[in-house]
Amino acid sequence: MAKAFAFINDKRVRDVFYQAALLIGLVALLVYFIRNASQNMVQAGIASGFDFLWRTSGIEVPFVLTNYTQSDNILALFWAGVANTMLVTVIALVLSTALGFLIGIARLSSIWLVQAIAGAYVEFVRNIPLLFFVLFWYFGVIAALPAPRESLSVFGVAFLNNRGLTIPLPDAGASFRYAFIAIAISCLLHWLFLRWARRRKEATGQDAPVLSVGLFLLLLVPVLALAWATLATRWDIPVLRGFNYRGGFVVIPEFVALLAALVTYTAGFIAEIVRGGIQSVPHGQIEASGALGLRPAQTLRLVTIPQALRVMTPPMTNQYLNVLKNSSFGAAIAYPDVVSLFMGSALNNTGQAIEIIAMTLAVYLVIGLAVSAFMNWYNARIALVTR
Amino acid sequence: MKTFVLAAALFAAGTLAASAQQLAPSPTLDAIKARGHLECGVHLGLPGFSFANDKGEWTGLDVDYCRALAAAVLGDATKVKYTPTSVQQRWPILQSGQVDVLSRNSTITFSRNATLGLNFQGINFYEGQTFIVRKKANVKSAEELDGASVCVAAGSTEEKNAADWFRERNLKVTITNFQKNDDAITAYDSGRCDAYTAGVGALAGQRAKLKVPDDHTILTKPISNDPQGPVTRYGDERWQLIVRWVLNGTIAAEMLGVTSKNVDEMKANSKNTEVRRLLGAEGGFGAMMGLADDWMYKAIKQVGNYGESYERTVGLESPLKLERGQNQLWTKGGLLFTPPFQ
Repeated sequence: MAKAFAFINDKRVRDVFYQAALLIGLVALLVYFIRNASQNMVQAGIASGFDFLWRTSGIEVPFVLTNYTQSDNILALFWAGVANTMLVTVIALVLSTALGFLIGIARLSSIWLVQAIAGAYVEFVRNIPLLFFVLFWYFGVIAALPAPRESLSVFGVAFLNNRGLTIPLPDAGASFRYAFIAIAISCLLHWLFLRWARRRKEATGQDAPVLSVGLFLLLLVPVLALAWATLATRWDIPVLRGFNYRGGFVVIPEFVALLAALVTYTAGFIAEIVRGGIQSVPHGQIEASGALGLRPAQTLRLVTIPQALRVMTPPMTNQYLNVLKNSSFGAAIAYPDVVSLFMGSALNNTGQAIEIIAMTLAVYLVIGLAVSAFMNWYNARIALVTR
Repeated sequence: MKTFVLAAALFAAGTLAASAQQLAPSPTLDAIKARGHLECGVHLGLPGFSFANDKGEWTGLDVDYCRALAAAVLGDATKVKYTPTSVQQRWPILQSGQVDVLSRNSTITFSRNATLGLNFQGINFYEGQTFIVRKKANVKSAEELDGASVCVAAGSTEEKNAADWFRERNLKVTITNFQKNDDAITAYDSGRCDAYTAGVGALAGQRAKLKVPDDHTILTKPISNDPQGPVTRYGDERWQLIVRWVLNGTIAAEMLGVTSKNVDEMKANSKNTEVRRLLGAEGGFGAMMGLADDWMYKAIKQVGNYGESYERTVGLESPLKLERGQNQLWTKGGLLFTPPFQ
């Protein structure tokens, strides 16, 4: 008898048992909540389920990247919102990283004024709520821009006013597609060339004409390709008619304000991460690289930043996830992101609160996990390899 | 035989009385009586309809309805707790039972009635959606808004109405959706939009919030019909009956000429049986719903009839200066009509 139950004294068996019990408990709790909610909704006469996604949305969206129109269904509205969220997030990620690096390095500058300005900026940004930035940029942007009739003209083809920046739109994108393919090929060639040049240098010590080939492949080819595409396409050029310019694509002020707010805000935090990362590199490394005859710029590029990146990557992941989540502040200023369109307009029109909130959460979860997975991969790649 | 008939009659009377008492107890009514105040969902702040003044007192047409309901149910128009709700919050707050009734400038629509578990208990304001534009834009009707950009509250009936209306007429209009009416009108005021759209009544109230109200004009021809009135949850029929008949009662009072000033005199001396039933002098109409018989007397005495309330909050006596128009009694060319107190 005692022998038959001896396995309960086995630590591994017990670990598995406790974990299974926890999992079953959690699932049971979740099932209970879902059942409870759906029963209450049935009792209250509230419709549930995801059928509403196929109803016509009827909502007009001022800034669409997908081919959504007002007569499409609510699912299409959802994707339009997701696309807008992704757009502002991705651009904000790139710009805030660049600005953050600049400010972070400026904070460590040996010039007192540069250092003081960067420090003041970081302290200012970190102590002010993001919503303030969003509203400040929004109302600041609109107030600063002229009415449509007094638009600022950019060479007579693009127009800036308080309804946004109207830019010409190519009628058919075919030539641009070829141009982008050409640019991609030349980037690939450049990468292959660099690999070849490095191998040859390691093997023979001979230098390759890296600069001139780089300029040709990364600058001249793209410029020529884009210039050709621009000339080969018929353009839909905005024209002032009635209230505003017609035709072209409008970059709305809500987008500009949200992007500016996200970038200026996040850059403050990234600057601190950059500073912390750089300062974490032992000073001896810098002295050593000076002793080897490297110039300060080379030291920063070849010695300091590669080591600092290892420290910076995990906290940067958090900041990137924050940018994604903070993009939902767009709802405060009518930027048509997924929160504004789906949790605002669609929720109110259908009343399907639980389904809509669950789908919106899933969007942030999926994008967030993807960003985090990418950053973890990057972190593993740059981690110090000990041999 | 005689005793049998008598016994049968007594038995019948007894079961009738018992069934009258058993008739659908109202959990909502019981809860209100137990806590001593009515929970009423109102607008965040819409002058003329529901607006908290600098002393924190709520006033307006929708608020007056809450006060009349509290007077009818609890005998005291001041026993109301107001919950300000945004466009987004209003339905969940009612559905979840946080408020007993929603009196909040919300359009009655089919899909809301059919899918949200909500019932609409009558109409206290007939409204049409229109636009406010800058005078210098020189726009006379909504058809001239081709190419314009319009600010609106996201998820409102106005958002969809406007989109549909312009599309049907092949007019290209950019609609920018804000989470709150106030955000939308601030953006309009700062020049982001050429027009802001909402109901006539709401626009009249919100115009006062603009930097220079006189620079703006409200287009007269509405593009929709937006009837509005008190909203309840599905279930609790007795409570719905009360919510509906308090509204009917304030309109009936105006039709019958009962005002807050003459209500005492009418209750004591009126020969009109409908007036007597309304004010609880005969008929026991209040008891049929589980209320005191003087339910409407108290409501009218403390809040006034519909017409008095209208004039005071949105009508000519108020800063909004809205004509009665379609909100006039049907006998005077309007749409207000109420079933009789019989």
